[in-house]
Amino acid sequence: MIFFVLLLISMFLALVVEYFIGPLPVTGSRVLLMPIVMFYGSLALPVPGMLALAFCGGLMWDALNVQTVDGNVEIAMGWSIILYAVLGTLMGGFRPLFQRGRWEVHCLLSGVCTCFIVLAEYLMITFRREPVVFHFDREVWLRIGGSGLVAVLLSPFFFFALNYLAFLIGYDPQPERAVRRPR
Amino acid sequence: MEIGPARRRACLALLRMSRRLIIPSVLIFLVLTGMVLFLSPHNMRRVQAGFLGIISPFLKTGSSMEKKYRDFREGVKTLEQLESENQSLRVANQVLSAQNQTLAGLRTENDRLRSSLDYKKASVFNLVPARIIARDASTWYNKVVIDRGEADGVQDDQPVLTDLGLVGKTAVVAQHSATIVLISDETCRVAAKVEGTQEQGIVKGERTSSGTNPVIGLNFLSKQAKIQPGANIYSSGVGGVFPAGVLIGQVKDFEVGVLNGHATVVPAVDLTTLEDVFVVVGDSK
Repeated sequence: MIFFVLLLISMFLALVVEYFIGPLPVTGSRVLLMPIVMFYGSLALPVPGMLALAFCGGLMWDALNVQTVDGNVEIAMGWSIILYAVLGTLMGGFRPLFQRGRWEVHCLLSGVCTCFIVLAEYLMITFRREPVVFHFDREVWLRIGGSGLVAVLLSPFFFFALNYLAFLIGYDPQPERAVRRPR
Repeated sequence: MEIGPARRRACLALLRMSRRLIIPSVLIFLVLTGMVLFLSPHNMRRVQAGFLGIISPFLKTGSSMEKKYRDFREGVKTLEQLESENQSLRVANQVLSAQNQTLAGLRTENDRLRSSLDYKKASVFNLVPARIIARDASTWYNKVVIDRGEADGVQDDQPVLTDLGLVGKTAVVAQHSATIVLISDETCRVAAKVEGTQEQGIVKGERTSSGTNPVIGLNFLSKQAKIQPGANIYSSGVGGVFPAGVLIGQVKDFEVGVLNGHATVVPAVDLTTLEDVFVVVGDSK
């Protein structure tokens, strides 16, 4: 429970920090830190904890970003909750590897999932705004790919720091590690 | 760092117990998510304003820390530099005071003449100065957060500008902060006219040109329009949100499409380095 609260505070702080990091030069993509914390949570927490984290993270993101245009809601608040839960479940599917101390797959996967978040956001905006034109030029791909690449590069540091934090408060994010003995 | 066996056994027991809670937790998750998804626009705004109110003190603290760091990097000004800056500000202040007095006299005269002709009295609006405390973190939106809110008289859909031109309009308003949708955002549409012509159109941001060098578009111009690069674009006042005659930007190029003409506009205000703005409160029409 304490670790869940700490992850929630980390997600909130990551969201605040994101506001002070401008768009990356050349790609124009943004640095998305909150999803990295959320992805770590989906590995370190059991399924109910992951769902609670996805709910809080998605709600925070939507509360800051969803727009109402001319009195109409453009994208309903809550879509990010579903997206985070789906990606968290996908990440949780790779939990056995995390239990064995293999993190590289999860770092790569957090980049892929971050790309998917940005792409999903773009597709939703495209469907909601008239006229519906799928405009996938170089700049769009650079923005999607740039956010993912940054997530891949940053996630090892975040995963290490959060794992260390877990050990500091006496929470074992990999409790099955001791049960599974190597053959 | 290692965790003791007793602690590890407790964590393992927690994990096993949580497996029995998967179905109830999924059900609770779905119910809560459904409740959020079906929030009415009014309640959604209230949730947004509430969360903006929670996060804005952190954004203000971060912004002031960032400013202190920037000031430190720029270095401390010498006494001579401060004196020279003070002198030039005094001169600018005197010029502006003189202009203000002249304009106040003209306004009184204008109102008197309007009333003698039975015209509606020209509405006067107030400007609330605000500081940008954060820039939007999302990829496809163009928004900033300011340190003024409902307590300062700021409301939804009020125009925001600087001395150089139009910036955008207010969106979500919390007690002491508000979100501004910039004119480079695709959802911010401004009725505009081209200086020196009868051409009118709609200025709208472009989704992919909003990063480090935002460019906006002026659509629905006639195909026969003769628009030269460098021509000023002003708000026309149609639509009711933005006052007429506020500079939006300069035309970069003009091209004729199948149905109408389209001009690319460079915003008059540098939206990427913007620090201080004014919110137009009261009747801006």
